[in-house]
Amino acid sequence: MKGTVIFISLFVVVACCSCKKVIHVDLNDAAPQIVIQGEVTDMPGPYKVTITKTVNFSATNNFPTVSGAVVTITDNNAVNDILAETAPGEYLTHATWQGVPGNGYTINVTSAGNTYTATCVMPQPVPLDSITFQQNGRFSGSTTISVVPNFQDPPGIANYYQFAETINDTPLHKIYLMNDRLSNGKYIHQDLFDDSVHIKTGDVVVLDMYSIDTNVYHYLDEMRQVSNDAGSVTPANPTSNFSNGALGFFSAHTVASKSAVAK
Amino acid sequence: MRLMKTCCLLLLLTCCFPLFSQVKYTASGTIRDKSSGETLIGATVILLEQPRSGVNSNAYGFYSVSAPAGNYTMVISFSGYRADSVKIILNRNLVIPVELGNEGIALQEVVVSTRRRDANVTAPLMGVQKLSMNEIRNIPVLFGEKDILKTIQLLPGIKSAGDGNSGFYVRGGAADQNLILLDEATVYNASHLLGFFSTFNSDAIKDVTVYKGGMPAEYGGRLSSVVDVRMNDGNDKNYGVSGGLGLISSRLTVEGPIAKDEGSFIVSARRTYADLFLKLSHDTDVNRNKIYFYDLNAKANYKLNGNNRIYLSGYFGRDVLGFSNIFGIQWGNSTATARWNHIFSSRLFSNTSFIYSNYNYLINLNSTTNDINITSKIEDYALKEDLQYYVSSQSKINFGFNIIHHTISPGIADATPGSDFNSFSLQKKYSLESAAYISHEWSPVAKLHIDYGLRLTAFTIFGPGNFYTYDDAGNAIDTATYAAYKVVKTYFNPEPRFSASYLLDSASSLKISYTRNIQNLHLLSNSNSSNPTDLWIPSSNNVKPEIADQESIGYYRNFADNNYEFSSEVYYKTMQNQIDYKNGAELRANENVESQLLFGKGKAYGWELFFKKKSGKLTGWVGYTLSRTELKIDGINNGNWYPARQDITHDISVVGIYQASKKWTLSGTWVYSTGNAVTFPNGKYDVNGQVVFYYTQRNAYRMPTYHRLDLGATLVTKKTAKKESSWTFSFYNAYNRANPYFIQFQQDPNDASRTQAVQYSLFRVIPSVTYNFKF
Repeated sequence: MKGTVIFISLFVVVACCSCKKVIHVDLNDAAPQIVIQGEVTDMPGPYKVTITKTVNFSATNNFPTVSGAVVTITDNNAVNDILAETAPGEYLTHATWQGVPGNGYTINVTSAGNTYTATCVMPQPVPLDSITFQQNGRFSGSTTISVVPNFQDPPGIANYYQFAETINDTPLHKIYLMNDRLSNGKYIHQDLFDDSVHIKTGDVVVLDMYSIDTNVYHYLDEMRQVSNDAGSVTPANPTSNFSNGALGFFSAHTVASKSAVAK
Repeated sequence: MRLMKTCCLLLLLTCCFPLFSQVKYTASGTIRDKSSGETLIGATVILLEQPRSGVNSNAYGFYSVSAPAGNYTMVISFSGYRADSVKIILNRNLVIPVELGNEGIALQEVVVSTRRRDANVTAPLMGVQKLSMNEIRNIPVLFGEKDILKTIQLLPGIKSAGDGNSGFYVRGGAADQNLILLDEATVYNASHLLGFFSTFNSDAIKDVTVYKGGMPAEYGGRLSSVVDVRMNDGNDKNYGVSGGLGLISSRLTVEGPIAKDEGSFIVSARRTYADLFLKLSHDTDVNRNKIYFYDLNAKANYKLNGNNRIYLSGYFGRDVLGFSNIFGIQWGNSTATARWNHIFSSRLFSNTSFIYSNYNYLINLNSTTNDINITSKIEDYALKEDLQYYVSSQSKINFGFNIIHHTISPGIADATPGSDFNSFSLQKKYSLESAAYISHEWSPVAKLHIDYGLRLTAFTIFGPGNFYTYDDAGNAIDTATYAAYKVVKTYFNPEPRFSASYLLDSASSLKISYTRNIQNLHLLSNSNSSNPTDLWIPSSNNVKPEIADQESIGYYRNFADNNYEFSSEVYYKTMQNQIDYKNGAELRANENVESQLLFGKGKAYGWELFFKKKSGKLTGWVGYTLSRTELKIDGINNGNWYPARQDITHDISVVGIYQASKKWTLSGTWVYSTGNAVTFPNGKYDVNGQVVFYYTQRNAYRMPTYHRLDLGATLVTKKTAKKESSWTFSFYNAYNRANPYFIQFQQDPNDASRTQAVQYSLFRVIPSVTYNFKF
């Protein structure tokens, strides 16, 4: 809904006489910060944790990896896994365990004398019944195709969802989110609105639906706000669930997948 | 508090003074335009034989001058009108109605000079700016749509919130800190089409006064400014039709007498028709899109007898945006004011107003699976009583009260059963805003004018409803339930007001002022542009009243027989209980919206220079502002001071209007301002294969400099006593500058290894033409 209002404002702007140009902005350098990203799911492992650093805005998108960190993941039961660094900055769990919904997972990262900790409880899974497609008209008259997940939101509890699309085996780097704040207990068939043409008729689309916890949802929501809707809010770093000022997030979530041919 | 006591004491003392002085008589009456019967606001009346006898007509054209018995010459003057003088024998109280004519006076040409053309120097009020409709008429604006809110942004200390935004910042205040009144009714959203135009149809407007500081005690409710807009009353002598045909909108006004010289009416309407072009498209997705607004101003007045006149005025405006049949939003204000002017005696004038104001929006979402309507509304009923007692020519007391009942309905959603959404209804918020005030305009000695007063406000929040207490994380830890009309909390606040001017010589003065303002309604808008769905919330158990204290000092000087005026003002303002938002704050459809807020304080200071040429073929002004505005909010920028978004260091505006001939009037404006403070990234990192930007400091950067030239020309093709027609041509952004609207940081679409900054601009050069007529 919020997106729609912003979208409408933008379309008015565009419909008038906007123009754009690439400009040079003198941005200050920032001391490199640690960025940790990790997940545990209810699918078979191993699960990956990546540790990188920030670079200056003007640099190329080569993010330095952080090697030699000690990374552990524990749960409130038997799991106590020291991850192995299999590639620079990439740490993998051992395939001896699998994530369980309802369990709380804690990640501990020690690097260059600093320790960063995050905790996340894996929500209960929500089944995805099917995916369908919807054609959306655009102001200019052309149309886009968006994916519609069809599922029952469990009543009585707060649920948060993240969706990831894979189109013809290529993952789309676009984060879709939903929550049930205004639709608790409803049967959901709301499209994942995309204002760009990514999906064409005949494409094979796989949709992964994650049940994520509230902190991860807010992290991703804030990240989406500052990276997509330019000028809509005062930008700030998304609130991470890591301690000690690390950027990034740690998510324990369930996965439900469906695949279909776009039409 | 000590200041308050001193004020009260002074007030008492001065009220007693006239009782002991010699017998005086009073001349009073109403000042009107000779041809239309419109009352003239701020006309000057002086008795030539009586030094220091000048008074100004009030908002209803009423004046009252007192003097000892004797023969006098009363001179009445008003900018743009031929002055009139009347010989009077003042041996009893006289009622003298005055009509001033402007026949044969070309635009901008001022025929007489009276001492009171120096009112800007002598009057104690500071930070007040009045624009004549003549000035507004000739200044070029976007799409040729004359716009009072856009025009006041050309004055020093008042800054535009950006292209395509009717919002404005006054002396470092936020856009919601401006009290915008239309015939005394609050206008909650003064913009059309998401901010491209203001809600005021200038054909229906008589007078605009802007207070940037030193607000008289009769005004209250917002921190930064008062924009007092008064509608035309209508011609009570002849019927007339006037209007204009523009590129994107047309206007029509009909006015005439209800009974000649006794009463009149005026109806003014306007509609844009950009959407009609969409209808021409054969594509059903396009021709079902909607985008338009319309508004309607209507007013009538009737004289019951010499001492009583009633007025009814109303405004109704609506914006409609629709995207195919999928999404629609419409919003608008409506206001109504019923007024009764009563003259108790030649010295005591009273106005009683009943005021209604409503702002609402409606959103429709329709798709194959989802059907939902959302409505939201803010509704006011108010009673306002204002009295003016003309003690003597050197002393006038204003007093009165007002009571406003606010009902805010933040949102009701109605969803069909098959929809993805649940229906919901956020609880309504009820409050009562009451105020009583008294102030005294007084000239104790020849060179000194002071205006001091006190406004006492009480803001009461009452049930029914649940009122929450939150912990630091924003979780509701306690809920108190109140029954209907049960008082939850009352905030009492005194608002002292003081201003004084001291004449240094006949053409220059020094002024000082101190003002406290309180604001109990707050607009939540966590976006850089104004949105019709921005939410008003009242002060509550969690949200405290915003308080601003402003001190200012200024030097005023007129040159060349008052043809030029110059002023220099310095102000310092502190603001308490300012509101900002947590990261990712959810402001929409949130019962616990107060848990999303952060609070802190602000300070603003600046220096404003203003130089104006008031007469001759070339008129206009140059304004310059040097200023700084900072905020300190717990939870933002590590609790350190940072520049507010409205912090704009340098701001220049130049306005020129040139009467080239009887037929042609040329005009131009040029504005220049430092880019506003903005948050840019310092670095970047990777999340899930997506580049995310890294921020270190709030508002540490500046948008690129903004500057723009607008040109206009008016050609009068016909002008007789009855008929008039003219063409207005304009070029908005004449040298086609790409001014920044926003800057987006993004992945370079042509190079996956790079990121880039892209500047979006809204308006390039926009020519327009409008045909205006009157018959």
